[in-house]
Amino acid sequence: MDLHQLWTIISLPDNVPIVLLMFVVPFYTWYALRQAFANDRLIGELEANPALAKTHHRKTQPWKPGWAKEVHVWPFLLRIEFLAAIIVTLILMIWSITLNAPLEEPSNPTLTMNPSKAPWYFLGLQEMLVYFDPWIAGVVMPSLIIVGLMVIPYIDSNPLGNGYYTFKQRKSAILTFIFGFIVLWVTMIVIGTLIRGPGWMWFWPGTTWDHNRLEFAVNRDLPDIFGIKGRVAKIIFGAVVCGLYGAVAGWFIHKLIAGRSLMIGKWKLIKEQPFNQRIFKRMSLLQYAVMQTFLIIMLALPIKILARLLFRIKYVWVTPWFNV
Amino acid sequence: MSDQEQDKDPVLSSSLSRPLFIWSALLLLSLGWGLWDEIYGTRPWKSYQAQFAKVYTAYLRRVRPHEAGFEKEIRASADYRKLDSEMQAAEKTVSAQVAEIDRKVNQELVPRILALNDPFQEVRGHIGALTYQIETTDSESSKNSKRQEIAKLRQEKHSIKLPGDEKPEEMDFGLMDKTLQDMKNEKAQLLQQRVEILKPATELRAQREKYVSDRIADVSADTLTGLITKMQDFDIHIRQIHIKDVELVDRCESCHLGTREPVTLTKADIGSEVFVSHPNKELLKIHDPEKFGCTPCHGGNGAAEDSVLKAHGRHKFWLWPLHYRENFEAGCQQCHVKEIVTEMADTLNSGREIFRRRGCMGCHRYEGFDREPDEMTTVTQQIRQLEQQKAEWTREIGFTTDKADKTRSNEEAQRLYQHANDLKVRITGLDAKIEQADIRSSDLIREVKKVGPSLKEVRMKMRKEWIPVWLEDPHKWRPGTKMPTFRLDPEEIRQIGAFIWQSGVTGNLPSQAKGDPVKGKEAFETRGCMACHSMGEGNERQGGDFAANLSRVGEKDNYDYIVRWIHNPRERTLPYCPFERRDLTAEDYKKKGLPFVFDMDHDKCPNDGHELQVEQMTPMPSLRLSIDEARDIASYLMTRKHDNVTYAAADYLDDPQLKSKGQFLVRYYGCAGCHEISGLEEELRIGTELTKEGSKPLERLDFALLGHEAEDQGWYTHKGFFEHKLQNPAVYDTGKEKPNKFDRLKMPNFNLSKPEIDQVATFLLGSVDSTMPERYHFDPADQRQDIIDGWWVVRKYNCMGCHQVHIGQTTVFMVLPRYQDPDWKDQKPPSLIGEGARVNPQWLMRFLTNPSLSDTDANRDGVRQYLKARMPTFYFSSGEIQKLVRFFAAMSSQAAPYIAPKMEMVSDQERTMARQLFSSEGAPCLKCHMTGDPKHDARATAPSFLIARERLKPGWTERWIVHPEMMQPGTAMPSGLFRRDGERWVFAGPTPPSFQTYARDHADLLVRYMFQFTPEELNRLRASAGAGAGR
Amino acid sequence: MKSIFVSVVAASALFVAGCGGSKAPETAKEESAAPAAAAPAIDEANAATVTGKVSFTGDKPTMRNIDMSANPKCALAHAGAAQKSEEVVVNGNGTLKNVFVWIKAGVPDRQWPVPGTPVELAQKGCMYGPHVIGVQAGQDIKIVNDDPTNHNIHPLPKINQEWNESQPPNGDPKLKKFAREEVMIAVKCNVHPWMRSYIGVVNHPFFAVTGDDGTFSIKGLPPGKYTIEAWHEKYGTQDVEITVGAKESKTQDFDSAQMKSS
Repeated sequence: MDLHQLWTIISLPDNVPIVLLMFVVPFYTWYALRQAFANDRLIGELEANPALAKTHHRKTQPWKPGWAKEVHVWPFLLRIEFLAAIIVTLILMIWSITLNAPLEEPSNPTLTMNPSKAPWYFLGLQEMLVYFDPWIAGVVMPSLIIVGLMVIPYIDSNPLGNGYYTFKQRKSAILTFIFGFIVLWVTMIVIGTLIRGPGWMWFWPGTTWDHNRLEFAVNRDLPDIFGIKGRVAKIIFGAVVCGLYGAVAGWFIHKLIAGRSLMIGKWKLIKEQPFNQRIFKRMSLLQYAVMQTFLIIMLALPIKILARLLFRIKYVWVTPWFNV
Repeated sequence: MSDQEQDKDPVLSSSLSRPLFIWSALLLLSLGWGLWDEIYGTRPWKSYQAQFAKVYTAYLRRVRPHEAGFEKEIRASADYRKLDSEMQAAEKTVSAQVAEIDRKVNQELVPRILALNDPFQEVRGHIGALTYQIETTDSESSKNSKRQEIAKLRQEKHSIKLPGDEKPEEMDFGLMDKTLQDMKNEKAQLLQQRVEILKPATELRAQREKYVSDRIADVSADTLTGLITKMQDFDIHIRQIHIKDVELVDRCESCHLGTREPVTLTKADIGSEVFVSHPNKELLKIHDPEKFGCTPCHGGNGAAEDSVLKAHGRHKFWLWPLHYRENFEAGCQQCHVKEIVTEMADTLNSGREIFRRRGCMGCHRYEGFDREPDEMTTVTQQIRQLEQQKAEWTREIGFTTDKADKTRSNEEAQRLYQHANDLKVRITGLDAKIEQADIRSSDLIREVKKVGPSLKEVRMKMRKEWIPVWLEDPHKWRPGTKMPTFRLDPEEIRQIGAFIWQSGVTGNLPSQAKGDPVKGKEAFETRGCMACHSMGEGNERQGGDFAANLSRVGEKDNYDYIVRWIHNPRERTLPYCPFERRDLTAEDYKKKGLPFVFDMDHDKCPNDGHELQVEQMTPMPSLRLSIDEARDIASYLMTRKHDNVTYAAADYLDDPQLKSKGQFLVRYYGCAGCHEISGLEEELRIGTELTKEGSKPLERLDFALLGHEAEDQGWYTHKGFFEHKLQNPAVYDTGKEKPNKFDRLKMPNFNLSKPEIDQVATFLLGSVDSTMPERYHFDPADQRQDIIDGWWVVRKYNCMGCHQVHIGQTTVFMVLPRYQDPDWKDQKPPSLIGEGARVNPQWLMRFLTNPSLSDTDANRDGVRQYLKARMPTFYFSSGEIQKLVRFFAAMSSQAAPYIAPKMEMVSDQERTMARQLFSSEGAPCLKCHMTGDPKHDARATAPSFLIARERLKPGWTERWIVHPEMMQPGTAMPSGLFRRDGERWVFAGPTPPSFQTYARDHADLLVRYMFQFTPEELNRLRASAGAGAGR
Repeated sequence: MKSIFVSVVAASALFVAGCGGSKAPETAKEESAAPAAAAPAIDEANAATVTGKVSFTGDKPTMRNIDMSANPKCALAHAGAAQKSEEVVVNGNGTLKNVFVWIKAGVPDRQWPVPGTPVELAQKGCMYGPHVIGVQAGQDIKIVNDDPTNHNIHPLPKINQEWNESQPPNGDPKLKKFAREEVMIAVKCNVHPWMRSYIGVVNHPFFAVTGDDGTFSIKGLPPGKYTIEAWHEKYGTQDVEITVGAKESKTQDFDSAQMKSS
């Protein structure tokens, strides 16, 4: 256990945000959900009692009969936001005083540092480079991410949940977000920061980052594993595999969006979701198609990562133009 | 607690005032903190400067009274008071006049001038403005009108009352101008007068001040007071040196404020190491910080100043960290690359010397070291190019001529013929060039030396059994020897030994009669062997460390060979032909029907006419000893051995199987870098080049598995890498899995001491790809270049073992116990400080070529026959002699070439006088100087006058006889022989009567006499001296 | 009466010095500033004396004759009997002449008054006389040349500054001095190689040279523990620890056999 090594990584001014991230993100997730569940209970209560719902439609906790229906933004919201602003400023102040930007040696084009890492907020992308070929990971994925974020408002046909925390009214949205941001984005940043050492090799926290370390790992393309020779054959095979995946994933995701139950044998993987069914009805075909595509791709990401990490599969679909 | 309270809506009822207040307060605090951090936290130099102001002022106040008291004493002295009173008197005498002048100027003239100035200026300004308008307007009419206006202004009368006049005066412009000028001139005259009058007084004052300043060693009290006042308005700001073209910014002096103070500050004075002044002010004068900055020499990050660590660049992200104390001089190497000796950088010099002497450059190329082979290639190339050029031109001549023959017009023909002729002439120029190059190349063959002895001679020189013992660990057998310890396993030793032994050449080696060890010992200790060789082990060790310690030679060497070696170390068994790459044998000569003779005069290969290597490649010179003396010394050396040591028989050295394996190993370990070995003469270096090693990126230095240890222990730096490598060359193999031994690090262990390691590390740390532009590099075009070149030769042949070459240097002889005895003191070889000013370069050239200065009797010293120690014959190449002669000339800043000054002949009368003086009891010249009478010369302690004429320079000679103690404190030549009498030197002792009337300089007379000295004159002198004694 | 007063002063001075341990540097500074002032007065009252003789054991070496033929004038001076080398001179009473005896260690570190009278070093008959002299650091040495020939005086110190000056026949005497303690300084003459003399330079007045009776005596020694050294040109040195009380007079003999050349 090389604590000195661990400390040098953690205490690096660049890495402080990530270390913070590891604690802050889970905390706020929990905190938000807590509020959401509380509100959901209230909503349930009001739905059970229409009379009450008429007179009171304050949808958020804390709530008691006889309390104001609405609360003014000024002062009740602003003062809290102001307080938050103060606290954040304070934190930033102290941070900027105590941690100077790290200064490193004069640049030398003939000599790149090892490991050479991107700024922490890009480490996720850099980590992706391990699993996809540069074209996909460096160009396609980032643009897809941006486009995906842009289309959210258009494909979100769920009118509820504005201005208050709720889980049951926005289950799928929240889960998707948690999956996309926390599972994919944040974990990859953490891996890229704390676990990737010299030569971008995998060092478990607390092991020494040894520059002389050598590692034997052959990554093979899926077609090769199946002993498929010939370019065309490979292209076809890859396309087939990807197609299959698309089909399976699409079917699965469809069940989710449509809120239908999914039975395999006698196991119920997904149970009926009347609410989703209602939302599904409001969806146009375009909205549905877009959502499907993005969800399929998103789901592909971790699958590919695991395939690489566990089964050492380099690419699934090998073509002269791109590799997946 | 009531339900009411419980039922209150927390959102509406709760108040945030407290948290708001607390957090705002904290924010405010952090703001304060931020400000503090900005102003002081990140600017530690401020507190340094504050502290400096305090301690420095305190120090100044402390020392001032003492200085002041000291000065009071001076001011109290009679001379000072005399000067002072004179000065006062002078001032008094003229005070009246001066006062008068001052009155005239200040009371009368100045007010009048002022009074008239304003109205005059007014008019002039107006005219000027109008003139401008005239020049700029186009219309003639307006021009004219303006002209009239000006004319009017000029005529216009002004009534001005100048102070001193009773009634105002009517003046027009011209008059005003004139009067003003007159008054100004008058004033100037008066002031001039004043200066004239005061001149004597002023001069006296200057004298008085000089008197004080002459007697104050350190800074004067006034200076101190000045400094104190300066310190009073000392303001805190960044002190920075900015050198534009290098974009160098050094702020070191923001904390190190004492560096350039006029007062010398030590840690004791000022209590802190930070503020001490630069230890070497002289050095600082040569390298003015305003031009050189600090970091180019010292390293560190000159621009950083927010923490000591960063400013000193002592973190892994700064490539040029501040040099540690033991490596300070590494900075010099940055610009002084071409030198082997740099004044005032002893550590660095020793480092270079170790690198050269221990043969590092045998494996590691280092630009400038071991330069002969490099130069050799360039010269041969040059020759080839010249030959080509010559061929081209010859062809062109042909073309042009028949072109001319055929051409129509005569003019054209003539032009072409002319061109052809020009080319012919130019070709002769080429021939001259080629000749020079040829000379150089043959010189170079002679100049190439090897660090270690030639291994071709082992069969004739060595005892077979000794070789494996030596190979196993040279330092065990002979502690501190040049040869490093290789990590060889027994098998490798057998193989290497076998190859070396079997590749040895054999030749005829006459067997020698035994000599007398006792006489040999004496000779060894007095002839000068010990200037390079040392004798005795442990604490008994005496002598120089330039060459081997000979305490155990008796165990390893062959007597006959040693005799030959001592008699002439350069004698070679077989000549080597670089072109055929092999040693020639008698057969080669027989085939061509030539006698088997090879030496300086027969140095061409019989097969292909190329230059041969006819010498041993050793710097060891010949002492021109008689064969008997050589035998004596050899027999003495053979007695030098440990008793009852036995060597295991080593017959396997003759096993031919081992030989081939051995050759591979010898190549692999780079033995040929230092030794001459048959078949491997032209081997290349096996190590990495080190010329720029100091600036190699740290990542490129292979710490192997020690990287982390190094970082934890803080030696993950160039310094750390070098030191550990030198301390144990195999260190970076620790823990590595290298089953194949040829993958392992092969650098052998030189067993350097800690100081030696520091010296070499300093040298390597300095060997950087300099960040300074060319013009900073020390590559002078003047005489200093000769000094640089000369040092290489001086070091190469260890002249400094016997001679003092530069001031402050000690020679081996100076410390040898024998030469501490008063009787032996004068037996030391002469000091060469000022040699250039002393001797005639022509003569020096002859002397260096043949120090015996005689073709018949080589077994002697040309100048000082009385010295037991002898100037050996080094068989210098002509190039080396040129370098040396230029070196000495440059060292004493003598113009080259030397043109002897014309000397006035001594008149017969002067000659008789000088003769009388020489032979008088008062002037003991002939008592010590050699006279040619063997009985006397045996005891003489100074050279003969006969060689003075061609050897010495008259100017030096005069300076010498007048003040020998200045040139060589403690010389045998007594001082005080002459005393100053007015403008001339006169002999201090009783002079013969003939001198009474002689009004000229005695020293000059004697010098002229000496420079027209002849053997006959010497005989006469001897006779008269003898006669004088008889009476 | 006076002596009592002196001793009181001395005592008080010692006392001050004794308790001035803490502020030693100051006192040191003062001394360097004005040496004479701070130095305690010499305690003549309790001065002790060390006397003794340097005996010679072993068979008397015969000294070689000096050949002065190289310089007739010198030879003339010894026309009668050839001058013998003075390397070893054994007196009639079996004692050794020209032995320099001095207090090597233990003498209180203070400024000892330097005698104004110079010590004479004569050059007569091309010999230095006396062969061995002792002077106090800073004391003048008066060098005279009584010979009709030119001499040059060439001391070869290791610590002090070396010099070499010629002195014409019957030239006016030279006054020279050595600033630092050094035992011994050999003096030679380059013109007459056989000439040799030795000068012992000592910081304090406690030294002596044995004469024709081979005895020496060192007077005015403050009570205390000392190392006495006897030095001889050929036989080397012999050190002896000795303790003297107030007003005590000790005898301490030396012997050439005990001496070991360093």
